[in-house]
Amino acid sequence: MSTPARKRLMRDFRRLTSDPPQGVNGSPNPDNIMQWNCVIFGPEDTPWDGGTFKLTMEFSEEYPNKAPTVKFKTKLFHPNVYADGSICLDILQNQWSPIYDVAAILTSIQSLLSDPNPNSPANGEAARLYNENRREYNRRVREVVEASWVEDVPAEEEGKEDK
Amino acid sequence: MASTEPAAEPPVAGSEAPDRPSDEAILQQQNQIRAEQAKVSEYVGQEENLGALKAEYENGNQNFVQKIGKLEERYRTFRRTRGDGNCFFRGFIYAYLEGLLQNSDLAEANRFMSVVQSWKAKLVEGGFQELVFEDAMELLLEQVKEVTKASDQFAQEKLLVNMRDDMVSNMIVMFLRLVTSCEVQRREDFFFPFILGMYDEPPATVELFCQRHVEPMGEESDHLHIVAVTEALQIPVRVVYLDSSGLPAGGGGGGAGALEASCHDFVPDSCPPGTAPRVHLLYRPGHYDILYAKSG
Repeated sequence: MSTPARKRLMRDFRRLTSDPPQGVNGSPNPDNIMQWNCVIFGPEDTPWDGGTFKLTMEFSEEYPNKAPTVKFKTKLFHPNVYADGSICLDILQNQWSPIYDVAAILTSIQSLLSDPNPNSPANGEAARLYNENRREYNRRVREVVEASWVEDVPAEEEGKEDK
Repeated sequence: MASTEPAAEPPVAGSEAPDRPSDEAILQQQNQIRAEQAKVSEYVGQEENLGALKAEYENGNQNFVQKIGKLEERYRTFRRTRGDGNCFFRGFIYAYLEGLLQNSDLAEANRFMSVVQSWKAKLVEGGFQELVFEDAMELLLEQVKEVTKASDQFAQEKLLVNMRDDMVSNMIVMFLRLVTSCEVQRREDFFFPFILGMYDEPPATVELFCQRHVEPMGEESDHLHIVAVTEALQIPVRVVYLDSSGLPAGGGGGGAGALEASCHDFVPDSCPPGTAPRVHLLYRPGHYDILYAKSG
């Protein structure tokens, strides 16, 4: 059964494997192309360097006219990431457009890591430290980076959706 | 954001959050308004008499009533589109396809199809990936082929059903947005002055404007979008501007001149000036509907 959303996701996947952007990876769930598991590696030369951050993407049949729901499964300390892993990023919300494919979404999130927008904070403490005490902010970031190496549990308990 | 789990609103940021509602709250409200719109109106409605339009203003601003009365001399009916920010593109393409169908205009249909196909190379050259637009382009071409097959009641119904279908209708709108964006960026020198000063932070560029105001679904269309898309597809359009302003059109003439809605024709450079518009749209501040001219 091939709907436009599924067809498009197949192509997104093909592009991601044939021409993979640096530092990101992802693949659909073997029995459900609408659900993807992805990884973003922390950008080099930033406090995020070395981190491996897992995310899930959930697409609806309205894709690519609607953005997927994207959530970090690895615990993050970042001004634009909520405690439950959801991400506050314009292209995933009001600035979404069908020209973004999975690869583009992942690279946008990757650049959000090292280039946060402290003006629309999802995590007030992270935003405050980012603005006022970068040293401490970086230390907290290093903590989640190190935790990401061992962590294999979802950011919050609700995550039984990835079977 | 998708409306799959309205209950699970992410927690609002800490104590320092200002009074301004959070971005999430604003978005949620926007989505809610759109969802309510979707319940009461189709993407494209039924043809209605202009009297129905007039009735909306009967107890309100009489300038509207006067102007609609005047409009009735030239237009027979109108058709509403859903106010979801895509109304210009949707109204435009629906009215155009319907015109092809009713006039069985094979020559125009063929011209249009080759123009649409020529955009494939231009979009790729403009940096759009094929995977992003090829399905949408196919869908649009299919609609054109469909409307040239027959011009009976059934074909008309089919067009309506397709343009009311979430997937078909939105994919076509999306394709038009990409073509518009690409046209604006291809002719950056021409379009840049129009966006100059629209925002300073970050500095306005044609590319950024397209990313923010052309490509995303639901972003409203303005003069600039219309100029670009009518040029890109070479389809002349007339927009009738209906607002509450009280100055008689044309000024001067004989004192008690009746108020008249002003018109603006978007005629692509490739068409001789004065080419008859193929699409008539009714603009009321913030919204476009379709107008049907009286024949003859």
